[in-house]
Amino acid sequence: MLDATTIILTLIWGVAIGSIYVLLATGLNLIFGVMKLVNFAHGQLLMIGAYIGFTVWSIFGVNAYLAIFFAMASVAIIGILVERFSFRRVLGEEKLNEIFVSLGLILLFDNVAVLLWGEKSKRIISPFENMSVLIGELSISYDWLIAMAIVVVMLISLIFLIKKTKIGLAMRATSQRQEASMLMGINVERIYILTFAIGAAMAGAAGVLFGIIFPFNPYIGALPTIKAFAIIILGGLGSIPGAIIGGLLYGIAEQSAVIFLGGIWRNAIAFTVLIIVLIFRPKGLFGEKGE
Amino acid sequence: MFNKKQIISLKGSRKFRFLVIAIVFSSLIPLLLNDPFMIHVLTLIAIFAVYTSSWNLLANSGQGSLGHAAFLGIGGFTSSLLAINLGIPPIIGIFIGASFSAGIGFLIGLTCVRLEAWFLAMVTFGFSVIAETLVSQFDDVTHGVMGFRTPLLMPSGLPFYYFALLMAIITVIIIYLLMKSKIGLAFRALKENSSEARMIGINIAKYKLYAFVISTFFAGLAGSLYAHFLRYINVAVFSADNSFKPLMMAVIGGLGTIEGPVIGSIILVSIDSFLPNIDKYLQPVMSPLFSAVSNVGPPLRLLGLGLFLLLVVIFFPKGVASIIKRLYNYLLKQFRE
Repeated sequence: MLDATTIILTLIWGVAIGSIYVLLATGLNLIFGVMKLVNFAHGQLLMIGAYIGFTVWSIFGVNAYLAIFFAMASVAIIGILVERFSFRRVLGEEKLNEIFVSLGLILLFDNVAVLLWGEKSKRIISPFENMSVLIGELSISYDWLIAMAIVVVMLISLIFLIKKTKIGLAMRATSQRQEASMLMGINVERIYILTFAIGAAMAGAAGVLFGIIFPFNPYIGALPTIKAFAIIILGGLGSIPGAIIGGLLYGIAEQSAVIFLGGIWRNAIAFTVLIIVLIFRPKGLFGEKGE
Repeated sequence: MFNKKQIISLKGSRKFRFLVIAIVFSSLIPLLLNDPFMIHVLTLIAIFAVYTSSWNLLANSGQGSLGHAAFLGIGGFTSSLLAINLGIPPIIGIFIGASFSAGIGFLIGLTCVRLEAWFLAMVTFGFSVIAETLVSQFDDVTHGVMGFRTPLLMPSGLPFYYFALLMAIITVIIIYLLMKSKIGLAFRALKENSSEARMIGINIAKYKLYAFVISTFFAGLAGSLYAHFLRYINVAVFSADNSFKPLMMAVIGGLGTIEGPVIGSIILVSIDSFLPNIDKYLQPVMSPLFSAVSNVGPPLRLLGLGLFLLLVVIFFPKGVASIIKRLYNYLLKQFRE
């Protein structure tokens, strides 16, 4: 069982599944970094993205990978509405309120999805269904490779946006000193909306990729949120490279647990890793020290 | 822990009058509506009042748990398995279950007390998933995957209701006295501002751990009652749904108050129990709109609950209890004039 092929395959699967989590975790981390807000309903945005991709693909016959753009745009709009009408009203108050708002949003999104699309599992079929590259004994499906490539492109554009543009500068300033950036003439509320929209759009894209690779139903949102959260705790809150490394490590850990311990450990492993890390480092693996 | 003065001061207060009225009312109401289903609902309310009060106590110390179902399940499984395997009568078993849950709560609390709000939320949620996985993994011992029939604690109907009510009253009174005591004061100081609390010499970790142990004790008690009430238990008890329920009940009822969890349990258990009755009228009206679902009732109900929760958090952060209180004061004023 423990031969080289299995190990390499586990690694590749881990990286592929990890790259979807990376997309989700980076969005969550961006929102956290700039707004100091934890959106526990982030996985629900992934789920809605998957359904929007499904609708565009199945009704209008749009190519599954082009559907990503539709999903990103729609989920970004949903994100803006969510930020404007719910999170903004409790921002900066007690942290518990953000958790309660997220829980309300989870109930809202899950059940809207049930009402609109039903509870049965759905899948988006890509044009490359059942096609794979053969390298020696390994067969890697095209969809995995395309998903990884899309994630890489999106992350590079995000890093470019943050590091090289004026908006990115404003976002970084807001994340460091919210009040000082307000004094410097940055419209902080607009930056918040933009940040939330970008984070949501990334979740939407992750949703379509998820839907191409796995079957999905309205209730899939909860676990990806938790996994994304575990990843940003591993990688350090607010750090984008941390989220990328954390996501890939996490994907590999999850796949290894499934292969070597059995399927029921798929979800528990996330928390076992998380809790062990937090016992020794209460602020996360690369988190800042002190108060 | 409690001195005589506190108990005497409790006697004269308005809260005490409300408590007496609530006790009398809740003891008499099943006699008035002598209907098995109503008694079933009332018993569930009493059990969830214990469970939600335990969650609320933890939240009062600034720790919001998203995984209280772990303790509900631990309490339920412990008490039921003890009764089946060792023949320990459930009436003792429920307290062993509660104590075992508190023991696990102590160990989990050790890791949790140093964490900030969202880390804590995640870690507690994680423990409920890990508990579910472990119970499924050791199915030979727990029989959790298929579930099993739990032994009888009290004859169902009125006896069980009065027993659950007694437990609920004791829980509420203990938590009330605790919040009035020095420990409760420390909890509130932690919640308001933990760095200031540390400055005035409160040992944060110690008090957070106290809150954890006491809260998980009552959650385990609620779990044991729940398992013996339903006469069945399986791993589904660890579901996220059960973890989120006390949170919703406490928030909707009134976070950080004594009466909030009770009001919240009344509202949510009633919604869960009575609203399904209108499904059959809802179906013909709504099904043309939502053709994808066979029964529109449950998702619509949960959707409404989500909206309700959002509205309460955004517009009435002190919950329904505060609305009732305002209404009461208003009526009192009108009446006096």
